[in-house]
Amino acid sequence: MATLVIITVLCVVLMVVAAWFAIRTSDLVSAVIGSSVVSLMASVLFLILHAPDVAMTEAAIGAGLSTFVFLIAIRKTERYEKDEEQ
Amino acid sequence: MNIIDVVILLIGVSLFASFIRFLKGPTMSDRAMALDFMSVVVVSLMVVLSFVFDRSIYLDVAMVYALIGFVGTVIIGRYLEGGL
Repeated sequence: MATLVIITVLCVVLMVVAAWFAIRTSDLVSAVIGSSVVSLMASVLFLILHAPDVAMTEAAIGAGLSTFVFLIAIRKTERYEKDEEQ
Repeated sequence: MNIIDVVILLIGVSLFASFIRFLKGPTMSDRAMALDFMSVVVVSLMVVLSFVFDRSIYLDVAMVYALIGFVGTVIIGRYLEGGL
C-alpha cells in the first residue's frame, strides 16, 4: 500500500528534523518540545510496525513523564544554554 | 484511489503544516500550540490506521495518547505561566 509508505517516510523525516532542532537550539524548553515531537512520531511508527503495546508505553513515557521531568529540571536550573566555547 | 488513501494523505499534509509552524515559531506559545495540534492530528491518524489494519485494539493507543498529550500540553503551559 503506497500511502502507508508515504506516511511512514513523512514520519521518519519529521522525526529526524525534530531531533536536529532539539539538538541545535539554545532554548531548552524548545528542546523539550522537540523531543516530545520525536516521541510522537516514534509512537506512530511503532503503531505502523504492529506493536501497539510499545506504542502505548512510548506515548505514556515520552509525552507525559519525560516532559514533566525535564521541565522540573529546567525550572530548578536555568532555561537558556550558555556559550561555553573559549 | 480509495477514500482512506485520501484521508491519510490529507492528515500527512496537516502534520507537515503544523510541523513547519513548530520549526518557525518565534515564541514558545507557537511551539506549544503546534505540539498540541500535532498531537490531535496524530490521534486521528491512529484511529484511521486502526481502521486500515482492521484491529480494534489499536484504538486504545489513540485513547492513551489523547489523554497523555493533553497532560503534556498542560504542563508546558503551566511552565510558561510560571506556575509549575
